[in-house]
Amino acid sequence: MLEKQNLRSLCLLILPVIVLVVLVEIMDIRLYSRIATTLLINLILVLGLQIFMGNSGILSFAHIGFMGVGAYTTAVLTMPAQMKSMALPDLYAVLKVVEINPILGIIAGGVLATVLAAVISYPLMRLSDAAAVITSFAVLVIMHTVMVHWSAVTNGPRTLFGIVNATDLKTSAIAAAIAIAMAIWFKESRIGVLLRATRDDEVAASAIGANISHLRWKAFMLSALYAGIGGGLWAHFITSFSPNAFYLRETFVILGMLVIGGAATVSGAVFGTFAVTIAFEGLRTFENAINAANIITRPVVGLTEIVLACAMIGVLILKPGGIIDTREIGELPIWDRLFAKKPG
Amino acid sequence: MPTWEPVNQRGLKMLKVENLEVRYGAITAVREVCLEVSVGEMVCLLGANGAGKTTTMLSIAGALKSTTGKITFNGRDITSFSPERVLREGIAMVPETREVFPDLTVRENLVLGGFIHRGDHRKNKAQMEEMLALFPVLRDRQDQQSGTLSGGEQQQLVIARAMMSQPRLLLLDEPSLGLAPTIVHHIYEFINKLRSTGLTILLVEQNANMALKHAERAYVLSLGRIARQGPAGEIATSSDLKALYLGS
Amino acid sequence: MSAGTILQFVLDILSLGSLYALMALGLVIVYGILKLVNFAYGELIMVAGYTLYLLNASPFPWLVMALAAILMAIAIGLMTEFVAFKPVRSKSVTAVLITSFAFSTLLQNAALLFISPRARNVPLPDIFTQSVEILDVVIPIRNLITIACALLMLGAFSFVMKRTVLGLALRAAASQFTMARMVGIPANMIISLAFAISGLFAGVVAILWLGRIGSVVPGIGLEPLLVAFIATVIGGMRSLLGAVVGGYLLALIDVSFNYGLSQQLLHFRDAFTFTIVILILLFRPSGLIKGRETGLRT
Repeated sequence: MLEKQNLRSLCLLILPVIVLVVLVEIMDIRLYSRIATTLLINLILVLGLQIFMGNSGILSFAHIGFMGVGAYTTAVLTMPAQMKSMALPDLYAVLKVVEINPILGIIAGGVLATVLAAVISYPLMRLSDAAAVITSFAVLVIMHTVMVHWSAVTNGPRTLFGIVNATDLKTSAIAAAIAIAMAIWFKESRIGVLLRATRDDEVAASAIGANISHLRWKAFMLSALYAGIGGGLWAHFITSFSPNAFYLRETFVILGMLVIGGAATVSGAVFGTFAVTIAFEGLRTFENAINAANIITRPVVGLTEIVLACAMIGVLILKPGGIIDTREIGELPIWDRLFAKKPG
Repeated sequence: MPTWEPVNQRGLKMLKVENLEVRYGAITAVREVCLEVSVGEMVCLLGANGAGKTTTMLSIAGALKSTTGKITFNGRDITSFSPERVLREGIAMVPETREVFPDLTVRENLVLGGFIHRGDHRKNKAQMEEMLALFPVLRDRQDQQSGTLSGGEQQQLVIARAMMSQPRLLLLDEPSLGLAPTIVHHIYEFINKLRSTGLTILLVEQNANMALKHAERAYVLSLGRIARQGPAGEIATSSDLKALYLGS
Repeated sequence: MSAGTILQFVLDILSLGSLYALMALGLVIVYGILKLVNFAYGELIMVAGYTLYLLNASPFPWLVMALAAILMAIAIGLMTEFVAFKPVRSKSVTAVLITSFAFSTLLQNAALLFISPRARNVPLPDIFTQSVEILDVVIPIRNLITIACALLMLGAFSFVMKRTVLGLALRAAASQFTMARMVGIPANMIISLAFAISGLFAGVVAILWLGRIGSVVPGIGLEPLLVAFIATVIGGMRSLLGAVVGGYLLALIDVSFNYGLSQQLLHFRDAFTFTIVILILLFRPSGLIKGRETGLRT
């Protein structure tokens, strides 16, 4: 059950989402709207990673692969038949005629990612440490290889275009708000609490009867659901993409947001996403300015990644748990003091 | 065998532990532990399982960080020293886990024991000869993989390996653990031989009778605190020793 | 099958396997000591590659350039340890892992930013493009160089690990880190040594690898990293011998796939090999060659 402080966290974390949407709507600048939508979709992906990594304490590289599953699923299911004959000429006959509503497509993508995650990860969840990391990395490479070479469905390494534009700021805001609520709920649920116990002390948790790999498995599935839905939303926002969108660079960005914010808390995931996005956009403007000013003969690329990498390492050195590392924003003692002051 | 401490230093305070407190997360393993070891002495730390003996030893050796307290060795504060620095100061530890480097041969284990003197081949070679003379079984098995030695042989090897650094204080953690009585007897003979060269020893033992027979003074730990201390003879005859062991 | 085909098959496996074995050893030497899967390992290969590229215009003979490239890989390997890993080492395994991943991205993007996203040709002596004819099959000389280099490196490495005090200390620290410190082996020295050796292997691998492909790109490190992952998992992450065996086994699998799979399926080769990795980790988590359980780090 959610306690008072959890509800407080929930409200405080949804608040920035609402503020963001209102601000962007008032300003009505297309670029800001795009940035805000990307931020909210990234938020869903970061929360998904937080659900598994934050509660189980295990680093997973596979996450972004499931984002790809969600994106390609909904792309194929929702694309108008006419478009398909151009974008995906080799598509299987059965899929050629399917054309469903994008919302359904996104949900289908999430479900498929979850099912796939359930099957793949079930045997992997008993691994820890290096073995867990290498296998999750292997899963990412396998999914990437399949996406690059399964031309009939993904258009191979080339860009898949012509995806229905269906994700707007409000859709992603609603999805992000639900994602925040579910992440908090999961963290405080029986599974979440037990899983966090296994993270802190594997031996003690199994002594009180926690089935570690089963708990991890459930978290992994929910995490894949988030990734799948996030991928679907992103597909209908960006409308064309290639398999490289779901590989190491995206993994790095999402992981960076989570690590900087604080993997163990939902607040950390939210904070990290906002902070990194704002910093990224600032840097990108800077990069563009340099490129436009022609100070250097070559285009500046990779600066944002370098800064993010340095920020990650810096945070890990100074505050290894991230900026918000243990307590959710609603659990801070300041609230009790604030409320206690008011009579009644 | 050389005598490392001039006789006239006998009785000087060598190791001093003041107010030691060590925690593992929320659990406090030892608290307010104070103890002293003088040059040339053999002091033993007694107590039941979980009383905090090994924790105390590991803190002195630098392998565990204490939350509060001060450890001084020959007047120098070594509280925050790393294990390798503690060894350089002249304290060698033989852990109860009897950790030989299992893939390495007996001789290679001894070579690593002399790691801090690796620039001085002559010194290492002489010490190696001493150790092989003192522990004949090690000489016979120099080229055997140490992981294949018996428990008693491994115990001799870790003691010899610790002695390769030519320490002034030897921390011996449960040398009799899991060994047959005749072998324990044997091990204590070696320990006495080492003592006769002037080596100072802090010994942890569960086998109180055995330890009190050989040591000069004893501390009894109970539930992480020093419950009793005094000359070995007194402790051996004190009526409540058994009660302390039961942790009451 | 003719004797020539068999010879070619065997030499393909041996040369590729030699490369893989060196890649795997460089990764596993750090893993053994720190329990760190170093994602930035591939970037050491990249660093050596770019050093060679930047020295292209220099008047030095090629061997000096190659040596400088190898030294650079060692230097960057040591630097990653000092600026990135050392400060987070005591925190958690995950923190160090993420750091290595971040450092890998950092180095790659630095190459992107300061050099170029496009491939750059590196200077290579002619011998790398020449070939000899044995039993009617054409054998590139670089394959023979690779095999010879690997034998030399493996021999020297095995000598160091078995016959020198530092080698013994490395082995002791890999199995019982705390006990090694308690006999006076300084933790920092051993860790730095492991990173230096790792850099050395990466540097040599870089030269041999570039000898095959001829040019360097920012992402050049990914493939060797994946290879090293697979090889160490196959052979056992706790054993140095396992890494070598894993390297040659992986080459056997890869070369067999190359000879046996259809072009269509060959695209999925990485997916197949990584599936093998997952299966091995599931059924033999410690690899085909088991090392000893290792003690805890402090």
